[in-house]
Amino acid sequence: MGHLELHNLQVQFGGLRAVDGLNLSLEQGELRCLLGPNGAGKSTTLDLICGKTAASGGSVIFGGIDVTHMAEYQRARHGIGRKFQVPSVFKDLSVIENLEVARSQHPGVLASLRVFRSRLSGRMDEVLTIVGLHDHLHVKAGNLSHGQTQWLEIAMLLMQDCKLILMDEPTAGMTVQETLKTADIFNSLRGSHTMLVVEHDMSFVRVIAEQVTVMDQGKLLAQGTVAEIERDPKVRQAYLGDEETADAAS
Amino acid sequence: MDSVLNQVFAGLSMASILLIVALGLAIIYGAMGVINLAHGEFVMLGAYSAWFLQEQFGLGILVALPVIFLMVAVVGWLVERGVVRWLYHRPLDTILATWGIGIVLQQLVRLGIGPESRYVARPEILDGNVILGGLVMANYRIFLIAFSAAVLVGTWYLLTRTEFGTKLRAIIQNKEISECYGIRPERVYALTFAYGAGLAGIAGALITPLVSVTPGMGTYVVVDAFLVVIVGGVGSLIGTAVASGLVGTASAAFSFLLNDTLGRVALLLAIILLIRFRPMGLFPDKVRR
Amino acid sequence: MNTTFKTDIIGYGLFAALILFVVPWAFAFDGFELNTFARYLTLGMVAMALALSWGYAGVLNLGQAATFGLGSYVMAMHLKLRASASSYNGMPDFMGWTNVEVLPWFWEPFHSLTFTLVAGLALPALVAWLMAVFMFRGRVTGVFVAIITLAFLVALQLVFISEQRYTGGQNGLTGLAPLELFGWRADAYSTSFYYMVAGCLITALALGLAVVRSKVGLILRAIREDANRVRFFGYDVARYETLAFCVSAALAGWAGMLYVLVLEFASPTYMSVPFSLGIVIWCAVGGRESLVAAALGAVVVNMLEGRLSSIFVEGWFLFLGILFIVVVLVMPRGLYGLFSDAVQRLQTVSPRDRGGKVATKATPLSATPAVKEEN
Repeated sequence: MGHLELHNLQVQFGGLRAVDGLNLSLEQGELRCLLGPNGAGKSTTLDLICGKTAASGGSVIFGGIDVTHMAEYQRARHGIGRKFQVPSVFKDLSVIENLEVARSQHPGVLASLRVFRSRLSGRMDEVLTIVGLHDHLHVKAGNLSHGQTQWLEIAMLLMQDCKLILMDEPTAGMTVQETLKTADIFNSLRGSHTMLVVEHDMSFVRVIAEQVTVMDQGKLLAQGTVAEIERDPKVRQAYLGDEETADAAS
Repeated sequence: MDSVLNQVFAGLSMASILLIVALGLAIIYGAMGVINLAHGEFVMLGAYSAWFLQEQFGLGILVALPVIFLMVAVVGWLVERGVVRWLYHRPLDTILATWGIGIVLQQLVRLGIGPESRYVARPEILDGNVILGGLVMANYRIFLIAFSAAVLVGTWYLLTRTEFGTKLRAIIQNKEISECYGIRPERVYALTFAYGAGLAGIAGALITPLVSVTPGMGTYVVVDAFLVVIVGGVGSLIGTAVASGLVGTASAAFSFLLNDTLGRVALLLAIILLIRFRPMGLFPDKVRR
Repeated sequence: MNTTFKTDIIGYGLFAALILFVVPWAFAFDGFELNTFARYLTLGMVAMALALSWGYAGVLNLGQAATFGLGSYVMAMHLKLRASASSYNGMPDFMGWTNVEVLPWFWEPFHSLTFTLVAGLALPALVAWLMAVFMFRGRVTGVFVAIITLAFLVALQLVFISEQRYTGGQNGLTGLAPLELFGWRADAYSTSFYYMVAGCLITALALGLAVVRSKVGLILRAIREDANRVRFFGYDVARYETLAFCVSAALAGWAGMLYVLVLEFASPTYMSVPFSLGIVIWCAVGGRESLVAAALGAVVVNMLEGRLSSIFVEGWFLFLGILFIVVVLVMPRGLYGLFSDAVQRLQTVSPRDRGGKVATKATPLSATPAVKEEN
């Protein structure tokens, strides 16, 4: 039994089957990359796992618990975290305030009524060191640079300390150095955290992923190591389009 | 039986005025996402314009309608250019600002014209009744129903068959891309707001023979109109028409069966429940904004 | 500790000192003047309550007057019963005029002062809780919350006016007895009464500040910005919004109780649309981002009204409407916004921050093409 299991997961928008009978299993501590052409249903799959979108069929089993019909916040409390494609930090809040929001081990109202100050100790200190935002504690997130915003969001994910991290193109818009540093962070999380990463940048995928899953038209197309996937003819067809498919069929 | 029929007929004629008010409200909300809390005051301005034109120039309502439409449309245009356009990215603030505008318009009329009730005569050509068995239909009310149908058709034509309508729908779908094609949203917005206000003005003028004209009359009408828009959904003219029929007759029935106050309370509760459970209206537009 | 926290504390201290020491002295401890000012303070309290839900959680309650009105009627019912103790059946006079024979059951508990004081806070909070669960569980937000609360207010006022037998109708509840609290008789025109009201406001402000300065306030601000993102951290957004809404309602109810003591009658106008609009205006003028500023906004606007409405009686409401539009248009953060901007400009901006700001503008431009290529 995997840490995260998707069984025959489905969702429809109008007539479009965005995710169509997807089965997927992730081991505890695994880092899996999710690839596929545009519109393959990758982001939608993440949405279904974290609860942003409700599934119209199938189930999401996380840590042995069926979370398919839970609200977003309940899934988050079970340890599912999400990083969005568009950096979504709280722009009106300062860096430390953003991290305090992310420090959500006790998300109840009554627990929050008792907290008055953000403690700059332990985990928060560590996380700030990792992402290098120590000097910007009281800067409003809206005033950070694009790269810093990305770091802040990753820091928030680390702060949240979720067991499963869902990431949508975490390196979009990053410089080469930043991408490498991100890869380092991911590699250090491997083992203790289960991660599912949607990514287009193959060079980045090669650095971080052992196992890769490819989706096309809402279905699972192929699965295997990066090398295997790159040799797979089905994957080539899906990426290169219809002409190639026609050629291959004839 | 006859009294019920007469009641329904009276309800329908009020519903047709409601339709004109609600059309303006729905167009403004549908196009710009602005909930215009000053809409009732546009109705009130229309009523006072009718009174003023009759008092000063002896113009009957029917002759004065185009003038009234233009007068209130100009006010609407000024409101959009002066205030609302700065707030498109702050929806909560548009509610507040239009609320403030409503107060200002009401107070201006109260100070300038006076708080006492005014009366406007019914057009003489439309005196008399049509009698069908036990059903007595005042000619004026028949005219109201026919006229509102005409307004509905006219609005449908404007939105679907004219260049202006095409531009407006383009902007509703995607403002940025429309701008790339040379459409100037600010002009379209201003004209749309003016048109919505003008409609409210017409409705205000048409209602004058039936009710007395006071500075606070608008708030009364606008609650029903809000319910119509919520029931009918935005972006569906048919929905608006059916909804005003429903709300108009239901409102009349409630007041008839219970009493005026409980009728109002029932309307308000209906608004609350519908917003909660059917925010897109009972006749939702297929295209999501 | 950040700067806003410091300014909050300093502002709170200054405000407390102002209403406790400066104001009584400035009015030469004159009971009549202080009664007027006590009225402003109760209005400040309800404006502060609105700032808590509108300014922090982004929940614009256009029906704040409803909870204020409920609080006022709770207090007035108790005082009315006390005043009617010697009359027929111990019933309020207006019930006799409308042929009510027996005191209605829901009037009975208001004989008890303790019950009244608790109900003044609990009843508005309960009503708010019902509305909050109704709205926030269904994820109603923004303008729709505004419309629902407004519709509720209008409906509530209609009911209070029409049920004349139980509520005194359009006249409200008049001819009230003075409140007696632990042997102290509340005389609305005494200095001790003024200190009681001022003390209540200071306490209420402290409670409000405790809520918004705790992590709850932080989460509320985060919800205001992006409620969905907050959900993905495991916070039940509806519960946070509900808390803000209920605390705000309880404080408004408290203010309503005091208002009845100040004016010595309750009226359905306390739950009218214009009154509710007034609360929004005071809050907007003072600045909805700060509880103290919102309270101060109410005091300032009402002092202005006291001075100006005697000069142009009819024009005051017109002036208020125009003021409101101007505030919404050009200073949406109110006087507090002007003030805090000025403070920020005075503080020296460190070069690193400046670099950060420049980078924000520059990076996305250079970053976007890279994203496009990878797609």
